Amino acid sequence: MKKLALALALVLCLTACSLAFADQVTVKFFHRWPNEPKLSYLNGLIAEFEAANPDIKIETDQVLNDSYKEKIRVLVSTDDIPDVFMSWSGSFATNLVKSGRVQEWDEILAADPEFKDSIVESQWPPFQINGKQYGVPWSMDGKAFFYNKDLFNELGLEVPTTLNGLYELCEALKAAGYEEPISAGFSAPWAVSHYLGTICQRVVDPEILAKDYAGEGDFTDPGYIEALNIFKKLGEYMTKDPNSVDHEFARNAFIFGESPMVYLQLGECKYLRDDIEFDYGFFNFPAVEGGKGDPGQLTGAPEGMMISNVAAPEVQEAAIKFVKFIISQHGGYEMTKQTGELSCVKGALDETNLDAKQLEAVDLILKSTEPALWQDNVTDAVIADAFMAGGQLLLTGDKTAEDVMKDVQAAAASIK
Amino acid sequence: MQSRRAGMNVMTPYVYVLPCVILLGVFVYIPLVANFYYSAFSFSALSPTKSFVGLQNYKTLVSDPVVGTALINNIWYCIISVAIQVLLALVIASLLEDKLFSKISTVLRTTYFLPVLISMTVVALLFSFVYHPKIGLINAALKFFGMKNPPAWTGDPKTAIFSAIIMSQWHSTGYTTMLFIVAIQGISEDLYEAAEIDGANRLQRFWHITVPQVREMMFVTMVTTVTGAFLVFNDVYILTQGGPGNASTTLAVYMYRNAFNLDKMGYASTIAVVMLIICMALAIIQNTAFRSGKGD
Repeated sequence: MKKLALALALVLCLTACSLAFADQVTVKFFHRWPNEPKLSYLNGLIAEFEAANPDIKIETDQVLNDSYKEKIRVLVSTDDIPDVFMSWSGSFATNLVKSGRVQEWDEILAADPEFKDSIVESQWPPFQINGKQYGVPWSMDGKAFFYNKDLFNELGLEVPTTLNGLYELCEALKAAGYEEPISAGFSAPWAVSHYLGTICQRVVDPEILAKDYAGEGDFTDPGYIEALNIFKKLGEYMTKDPNSVDHEFARNAFIFGESPMVYLQLGECKYLRDDIEFDYGFFNFPAVEGGKGDPGQLTGAPEGMMISNVAAPEVQEAAIKFVKFIISQHGGYEMTKQTGELSCVKGALDETNLDAKQLEAVDLILKSTEPALWQDNVTDAVIADAFMAGGQLLLTGDKTAEDVMKDVQAAAASIK
Repeated sequence: MQSRRAGMNVMTPYVYVLPCVILLGVFVYIPLVANFYYSAFSFSALSPTKSFVGLQNYKTLVSDPVVGTALINNIWYCIISVAIQVLLALVIASLLEDKLFSKISTVLRTTYFLPVLISMTVVALLFSFVYHPKIGLINAALKFFGMKNPPAWTGDPKTAIFSAIIMSQWHSTGYTTMLFIVAIQGISEDLYEAAEIDGANRLQRFWHITVPQVREMMFVTMVTTVTGAFLVFNDVYILTQGGPGNASTTLAVYMYRNAFNLDKMGYASTIAVVMLIICMALAIIQNTAFRSGKGD
């Protein structure tokens, strides 16, 4: 009853508002940041935008991650599609675009090259589907090995540039008494896919990989077997029984000095800030000898914004204006300052809104050639699941790399 | 006047049951029938259209190795749950009701019942610490007693499902024990006295009086335990997410994952149909075996 009354009050209020501003355009904005400090950051920015554009009203709705995933997928396929909404890149974006209700940006960007150039180039392609630009990148991320710099200096160890170098490094750490040089927690399977995604990218021919991930290939390239065996070999240097350890525990084992390395997202820097008592650094996953993929790529994908193509022209125009405002140098600066998410607007990041570590992280992202999308985002969930489940059993010795690839091939065949 | 009242009398009961019938229809029977219909299609939550595949989902299901794993896991769940939550619980209940334990039975009863009051979600999160290979209680104890390589529990495909089953027993045995205690308290004291006079010992009294007298309650606990074992979701999903790999997947977990992670709604419906058939078949078998409702 209370809810009904509230809804009625809202409706009345909205009607009153629309009567008062008969010429006002209302833009519906749906996002996944209902939690602080992200919500106040967005609300502050929206208030600024509305003050600068009195003829536009932004109506927001927000739910947290998993609910957002469910809800936006349903909304996009209906006439209730929001005018502006957030999206992850990869298969998530592809699925949304399949609805036919997502607006292409190519013409808009051609008309405003200045806006296009204001965003880090490498972040655009993850939102290109069938050669067309469907989303505008907003924030960026990357996955890297975090290492204990103090310990490395003390033992005279160098950051490896090749996989064999990484093995040698792990051996040296083992010899120095660190039984588990790489902290790892795979009880949530996505953590497996971050490793497998990177290793497959380094090893397998990029053309074959792209075709297989798109569901057009059959995953028979021997490179996959090699990639899985690399993961298995790395497993020997990881936390014992990683399948019963969760990712947060693995991160903490690094923070408290139990393991000198851990594979984390650069966005996780903010969790390290308070408790860590040693100096740390990070390096990209090293090149694999003989691998066919570009070792300069960094695994990690941007998040971005999309707009609807079924909105009225004046609403769409306002929506574009709004997106450009959020993803501007000012908007990006505030986002990073207030929330710690890394903006992908050029010049939005400097030492005034980032600490030294985050600046290093940004540098690592900017130095990489292009983002290699998360494996569980870039390919169909059924294929990604076969990789993740297989990866867990590969480490326990219950499956061989060949067994896992058989499962992946079967999964790929099942969705054709 | 007379006829009007008669008319009211005819309609009144229907009006009273109507809300219940509508609710049951909308939330139980219509989805149940719709589920059979959906199982003949292949579709994702996103796609506006469904493609008809006939019995293809059922064919896939029969040859799907994960379904086999899940079914075996459910059967283990069922066997162990019946052994502990029905048989052992009955033994515990009769011990607690025995004169021997009368002084401490209240304390023990409360102790056994306490876990029931904790939500399964909380229990599973707690047990993920208990089973933790690094900081867990169990492995700390095992290491203390000199075990070099204690099991990985939830991280090892061989032990993962049993970790979940043991947790479930810890959580639920207190409930069935309580039900048996109530049933035993309902047995006439005369029966036990007569048996005692006839020279029956404790075991004989248990076997010849307690067991037959609580038959109805055994039926109830058996049905809920067995169906519960084939529908189990929470325990496993929160503790292991069905992993590592699919080693601890149960039918319900696999159904959920197909529907919401893999976006195979039709196939998930097919798994739901199989679960329905299994549960109904088991309920019918038990109903016949216990000849419930036809008490002596």
